[in-house]
Amino acid sequence: MKKKMGIVQFPGSNCDRDLFSFVTKKGYFAEFLWHKNSFNESDFEALLLPGGFSYGDYLRAGALAALSPVMTSVKSFAKKGGPVLGICNGFQILTEAGLLPGALIKNQSLRFQDQWVDLEVSSSGTYFGKKLKKTIRLPIAHGQGRFYLPEFDLKLLQDNDQIWLTYLDNPNGSMANIAGVLNREKNVAALMPHPERAIEDWMGSKDGWDFL
Amino acid sequence: MNDLQNKLSRYRMKPVEYEKMRKLLGKEPSNIEWALFSALWSEHCSYKSSKIHLKKFSETLNDRVVNSQGENAGVVDLGQGERIAFKMESHNHPSFIEPYQGAATGVGGILRDIFTMGARPIALADYLCFGSPTAPRMQALVDGVVRGIAGYGNSVGVPTVTGQTQFDDSFNQNILVNAMAVGYLAPGDPIALSKAEGVGHWVVVVGAQTGKDGVHGASMASQSFEEGQDDLKPNVQIGDPYFEKLLIESCLEVIQKKLVVAIQDMGAAGLTSSSFEMASKGQIGMDLRLDLVPVRENLSPEELLLSESQERMLLICKPSQWEQLEKHFLNWGLVVAKIGELTAGRKVRLFWEKEILCEIDPDVLVENAPVYDRPYHAGQISSAAKEIKRISGNLKDLYQQKFLGVDHSSRESIYRQYDQRVGALTVQDASVDVALLRLPASGRGLSINVGCRSFLMKQDVQIGAKDAVYYPALQMAIKGCQPIALTDCLNFGNPENPEVMTQFVASCEALRRACLDLDLPIVSGNVSFYNETQSQNARGELVRENIIPTPATGLIGLRENVSDVPADVFQKSGRTVFLVDGREVQGSLKVDLAHFIQLSKLSASSQMVSQGGLFFSLLKMCQGQIGFEVNEKSESLTNKRTITSEILYAAIFEPKDQDMFENYLSQHKMSFSKLGKTNDSDISILDFFITREAFDTDRARGLRRDFEILA
Repeated sequence: MKKKMGIVQFPGSNCDRDLFSFVTKKGYFAEFLWHKNSFNESDFEALLLPGGFSYGDYLRAGALAALSPVMTSVKSFAKKGGPVLGICNGFQILTEAGLLPGALIKNQSLRFQDQWVDLEVSSSGTYFGKKLKKTIRLPIAHGQGRFYLPEFDLKLLQDNDQIWLTYLDNPNGSMANIAGVLNREKNVAALMPHPERAIEDWMGSKDGWDFL
Repeated sequence: MNDLQNKLSRYRMKPVEYEKMRKLLGKEPSNIEWALFSALWSEHCSYKSSKIHLKKFSETLNDRVVNSQGENAGVVDLGQGERIAFKMESHNHPSFIEPYQGAATGVGGILRDIFTMGARPIALADYLCFGSPTAPRMQALVDGVVRGIAGYGNSVGVPTVTGQTQFDDSFNQNILVNAMAVGYLAPGDPIALSKAEGVGHWVVVVGAQTGKDGVHGASMASQSFEEGQDDLKPNVQIGDPYFEKLLIESCLEVIQKKLVVAIQDMGAAGLTSSSFEMASKGQIGMDLRLDLVPVRENLSPEELLLSESQERMLLICKPSQWEQLEKHFLNWGLVVAKIGELTAGRKVRLFWEKEILCEIDPDVLVENAPVYDRPYHAGQISSAAKEIKRISGNLKDLYQQKFLGVDHSSRESIYRQYDQRVGALTVQDASVDVALLRLPASGRGLSINVGCRSFLMKQDVQIGAKDAVYYPALQMAIKGCQPIALTDCLNFGNPENPEVMTQFVASCEALRRACLDLDLPIVSGNVSFYNETQSQNARGELVRENIIPTPATGLIGLRENVSDVPADVFQKSGRTVFLVDGREVQGSLKVDLAHFIQLSKLSASSQMVSQGGLFFSLLKMCQGQIGFEVNEKSESLTNKRTITSEILYAAIFEPKDQDMFENYLSQHKMSFSKLGKTNDSDISILDFFITREAFDTDRARGLRRDFEILA
């Protein structure tokens, strides 16, 4: 039987449809999970939190989405070891929800940045992107993607091998060039770049294909 | 001032228009009627100065056109069930007053025109004209406009994939901010229209709550800036892209499910223009209860009618489908309210609770709007064009003074702020001349390009306006794309000035001819007049200055596939570079287009000869890693005339297979010359030489050299 992936939809999400199409191209079933509802956790193999501007990024990117009803199910799914992937705004939501360490603050340039970046794959999660090459090329598109956390916590992250992806040429001032992180148990993973925008040659890179 | 003069000035109407209004009404107009006529008869809403000239554009329509002028956007059929809705619009006046919100709401407005038709917005493009970098406020204007476009477009999740940014002193006090939106209708998707139908059907408003923002905005945009323009600030609207995103998704949902009979966005003159236009199109009556419109503050009926609060839509639904419709909108967290119904009486009646405020035939307002045949110099409309000046000077100076200057520097610091890939359809982004998206159903390519080059318009309106069609079309062709259709945004000065009107009529005529020549239908458009500023000259006299006339164009084109698109920069060293002449060869540019498309398939890179002539075009092609060395025998290069000639309509190609390329040229008897060879790094063109390192260093700062604010 084909596995099913849930794609969480918040008002203001704008990469939800792109992710849907990526998931189905990979041969999985995809189902949208509406922000107002909880869901039956056992129906899903994995969960994806898409990019965008959930709740208009009001208050703080990801802050409101982290408190929405669907997140209760997401948290419970993650606590039981279920694989969860956050991309861009999804990353911001996962840090706000306490499922991942750190915070994503405004880019050093104080501007939105859209560009291609080269990344080093520094660690491996339990589920997503296990077949990734050592260095990959993906696009970023964000205004608040600068990863930050206290020095002490950074040390913990390093010691526990939770730094997933790092920028070869830091575009936004992220601490320790961090572009993606894992939780302690490595079932929750997130990154600022967009793998779903790099899954065909005509997109400029196919390196995103191996994330699912 | 007496009462009448007061009103004429408050409602920005002319005495003759007042007379016409009184005659049509058969009585002295009430305040509400003054407000309605003022809005709908404004230049912005009625196109009263341009209508008779725009009508001629209908000659360009061909059988690809599904919908054109009259609806919110033009729709063309690309075959295989795929259709594209697109349009371009100006937001010049608001952007000069408040650049961030002006540009942002410009983007929001043009997007609504697209998804109103049931098309999912898949791309944005912008066309911007700014003044000199040292002009007052110009740094802040550039920064604000770019941030505004980014802030709105990125958030609603529509990629900004291409654009053009130009600079000239004539825009010092009146910048141009034109935005184009492109929407996609997949096979089977229904097109939604704005014609109100069905007596007894309900009138519904959905989206943001109405406030005082933008009251009288339409008539503001229909006059020139005067001293003391700060008073106009309340006329500028504030946008909320989050609301827009919810509207996009929910409206597409209800259109898809066929829960709406008709739908129209509430743009200029807000509820007034949307309701009256819908009623007029359907030749039907409408009762509206203004007190039922959801508001966020206390508004008078007049303010409510004219408010330009953003992110609102007006739609018609069957009462039986109301519950379903309401459910969709509530699910997206939007406020939706029934505010009236369609009636048999052919009259629009406005109520406040039970009191009737106004009863009026919509045709009186919409169909009877004044139409002016404003005076212009007929003799100058198609007079022989003068010769376009070549830039002069030695190559080294040209490089230092022009090539590194504001006209030619990299726009990266602008487009890097735009999300160019959301939607996951982008094949070619804003870093190249022609944007390309992949059409989801067929896998074919959709190219997007904007046109109109100020330096040509400045010299000759006809040459410039034709070029606004030819040049972007040729740019598409050398990337393998067939231009399909065009939208325009005509930015001009004061139409009451015969000189300006002459420029306008001549431009329309040139556009029409060029489009007929290339079989490109003009499917939608927008006119922005009164782009001028009044200032004091050295002697203290008030003078009016008009902008460079600017008929901006937005083209879409089709490509068989999305692979092997020739780059803008040289790809490999050791290859021979060709200059292939257009135009003169076969007599018709349409034939050239076809040849250029074929040649693109044999090429690794290509570039049209651009502003600054062959010299600058070759330099631009060296902006990758590959350099160029001139062929000393090439006549095109040694001939000083051609190297700096700016409108050759010739293309530079770097063939992948030289033999096949030359075979094609000789088979079709095309005129060409060999310009030189690509090399590993350095650039040498006649007496101009620069190392790769120096060239890259010179170019690195791009637009930031003149606009430090973008750093």
